[in-house]
Amino acid sequence: MTLLALKNVGIRFGGLKALDDVSLSVEAGEIVGIMGANGAGKTTLFSLIAGHQKPDSGRILFDGRNIAGMRPDAINRRGIARTFQIVRPFRSMTVRENVMIGALFGAGADETLGAARQDAARILDEVGLASEADLPAGALTLAGQKRLEIARALATRPRLLLLDEVMAGLTPTEVVAARDMIRRLRKDHALTILIIEHVMTALMELGRRIVVLHHGLKIAEGTPDSIAASALVQEAYLGPPAA
Amino acid sequence: MADLFSTQLLFAALVTGALYGLTALGLNLVYGTMRLLNVAHGEFVMLGAFAAYWAFTLADIPPLVALPFIVLLSAATGLAIYRGLFRGLLRNPRLAERIESNSLLLFFGLSIVLQNVAAALFTATPRALPYLDSIIRIGDLGMATDRLATLIIAASVTLAIVLFLRFNLFGLAIKALIQNREATLIVGIDVEKVQRTSFALGFGLAGLAGGLVSMLGQISPFMGFPYMITAFVVIILGGLGNLTGGLIAGLLLGVLETYGVALTSTNYRSILIYGVFILILVLRPQGLLGSRRIAR
Amino acid sequence: MTGPRASGLAIYCAAAGAMALLPFLAGTYYLGVGLALLSWIALAQSWVLLSGTTGYISLGHAMFYGLGGYLTVLTWQQWPLWISLPAAGIAAALAALLLGWPVLRVRGPYFVILTYGLAELMKFIVIDIEAKLGKFGRLLMGAPSLETLYWIMLALALVATLATYLVRRSRFGAGLRAIRENEEAAETLGVPVVRFKLFAFAASAFIPGIVGGVMALRSAYFEPFQAFNPVTSFTIVVIAMIGGSDDAPGPIFGALLLVILQELLWVHAPELYLIILGLVLIGFVLFVPEGLHGRLSRKREVSADRPRERPREHPA
Repeated sequence: MTLLALKNVGIRFGGLKALDDVSLSVEAGEIVGIMGANGAGKTTLFSLIAGHQKPDSGRILFDGRNIAGMRPDAINRRGIARTFQIVRPFRSMTVRENVMIGALFGAGADETLGAARQDAARILDEVGLASEADLPAGALTLAGQKRLEIARALATRPRLLLLDEVMAGLTPTEVVAARDMIRRLRKDHALTILIIEHVMTALMELGRRIVVLHHGLKIAEGTPDSIAASALVQEAYLGPPAA
Repeated sequence: MADLFSTQLLFAALVTGALYGLTALGLNLVYGTMRLLNVAHGEFVMLGAFAAYWAFTLADIPPLVALPFIVLLSAATGLAIYRGLFRGLLRNPRLAERIESNSLLLFFGLSIVLQNVAAALFTATPRALPYLDSIIRIGDLGMATDRLATLIIAASVTLAIVLFLRFNLFGLAIKALIQNREATLIVGIDVEKVQRTSFALGFGLAGLAGGLVSMLGQISPFMGFPYMITAFVVIILGGLGNLTGGLIAGLLLGVLETYGVALTSTNYRSILIYGVFILILVLRPQGLLGSRRIAR
Repeated sequence: MTGPRASGLAIYCAAAGAMALLPFLAGTYYLGVGLALLSWIALAQSWVLLSGTTGYISLGHAMFYGLGGYLTVLTWQQWPLWISLPAAGIAAALAALLLGWPVLRVRGPYFVILTYGLAELMKFIVIDIEAKLGKFGRLLMGAPSLETLYWIMLALALVATLATYLVRRSRFGAGLRAIRENEEAAETLGVPVVRFKLFAFAASAFIPGIVGGVMALRSAYFEPFQAFNPVTSFTIVVIAMIGGSDDAPGPIFGALLLVILQELLWVHAPELYLIILGLVLIGFVLFVPEGLHGRLSRKREVSADRPRERPREHPA
């Protein structure tokens, strides 16, 4: 069943059309990859879905209901969570407390701090941050902070998870570990995932379907193989073929 | 009550608007480049006014002559504060993280100290400066010379700064810093120098406004507060960090206030200003000319 | 509760007990000082409820104090105290909701600017209303005794302290602190930021409204310039800064220090009082931003050899 559907979504900032008549749909349980050069509109897409911006045109249907224009916290409570491209940990709070915030609010909100602590411990185990649980979040390495972003988002019990360049800045070994973790989390939590990535290998391996954005337009959509072979996509990235 | 459509009222509105634009420009420079809310801005206007007053009363120096020195003195004070306070703050990494709110409390404390030091030194009694009292008449418009001088000086200074920001390389650097801090760092601009200069310039403008105000009415150690509040409303109206927006908004608010007070009474001045403030926040929080990127 | 915490609780119970005994032991002057101390505790705890947690700094909290005072004075001898005082608090809370809504919907420095000038604005409005009613200062006949007011204030201080204590350890408090750390991230994680900010603002106004009423009765005289005095707002901020705005004991420390400072300076150098207070604020922001209680609890954590989160700095 279609979990998320964007219909003719558009938004402009000043004179610039950041997204132009973009439509796409995501089935429950899928992993869909989003790719495109910088400025293509990928993060804007996430901003719109998560509620940080309101589209000028079009609708965003989540589970059949139009969520365009709803506030981010309301959207989160409906089951959509996102990570940020530039991580935003709660620096003075411990790693554990960061995740507890997700557990206390969000879709499956815990009532008590005790229950949230337990949920947080479980999730920290899953992402491999259990040993750093009592450190201040600001003390983690970048890779750790990225995992914290995911853990926090997971704690809100989403059905749809938006991952925004979680692999940027990771070493190849870390990339593989992240990729495997994402696959495992999806299975264990019955997630649907939309993932923006520049790390092509990971994107192609994770995504069953890839959507390509370019200057705010959706220029291609298909399996990883068809996208890799597409002349249109190649031209968008590399420019027109040499004469 | 002056006739609503008289040129007299228009003149008064322009003078007020020009003064508001000037104070707001100073505030915007500091806020735009460093995201610091200088709640002591009004106190520097007050100090500029007192400097002009004492120069005139003790040394017979006319305010117009004293103005450049007051500006330099205020700018130097701003620089000293920048070096002293913010070197201290920025060196502590934990504090640097929270700089925006910590600076608020610092300036808050500073404003209280300045007000009360002035009150202790000068007493709280309001004083006035009899200078340029004559009136120039053109048709049925009577312009007090001191108000005319204020309008001319405020307008030319703000115009000069707008041109500076547009056409001078350093001015463009200031604009760049306001728009995007990271990008400015990346393109190799000496951000520290730009910040320092904007800070000093901001304080200098406050002193200038104070010097001008000293000619216009009574001054007292506690006069700074309404100027600061108005300056804040102006920069919000024009869009935070938007320098030209602030100037237009200053003019607009000056007009609104003058005509509004003419229609009702001087008691309603604060209510008018706050009414505008709240209205803007409800309808268009990014200000009349601000960009859409403000948080919902 | 671990060892150090239990003995801390014992100290606070002892202190509360001591304050409860004061009316029986002290003369009028020191009872008045005790009343002032309790009022500052109540005010600062309420301020911390909003500004200590979310980092949204209110520079004009005197507006609720004045509003509550005004309402109590207006209904004096028409409504019994046990109705008019809570009503004053509720009115202050409602005012906070109404005025806070436009500014708390959006992020940015707007809240500070609003609160800074709002107390002044309210002062002028009340002066205007009073002038139209033909009143220039009001004298209150038959105000309750100092002792009665003292008991009421003690209750207010206890409630305010308890509120800070409980919120700090609640889901609501966790959400508020997340707002301070990173409001956008908090919102993305489902924290209802607008609702929480508004509620915290209203909650922080309630007790100050009642305190304003009690103090109006104490002086048996209402005058807008006194009621909406910006020095009140300033003092509240200083207390929270020097004591610590992270947890319940902070404002108690701060209020104690302030009252001692006041008693010393009023005798020897009253003009310097505000100047010194301003310098104290600047000094603490620069060197002891977590306040004295924050500093002490950090020392205790280090000596207890337990890894702990960094103590929160002030109040942002």
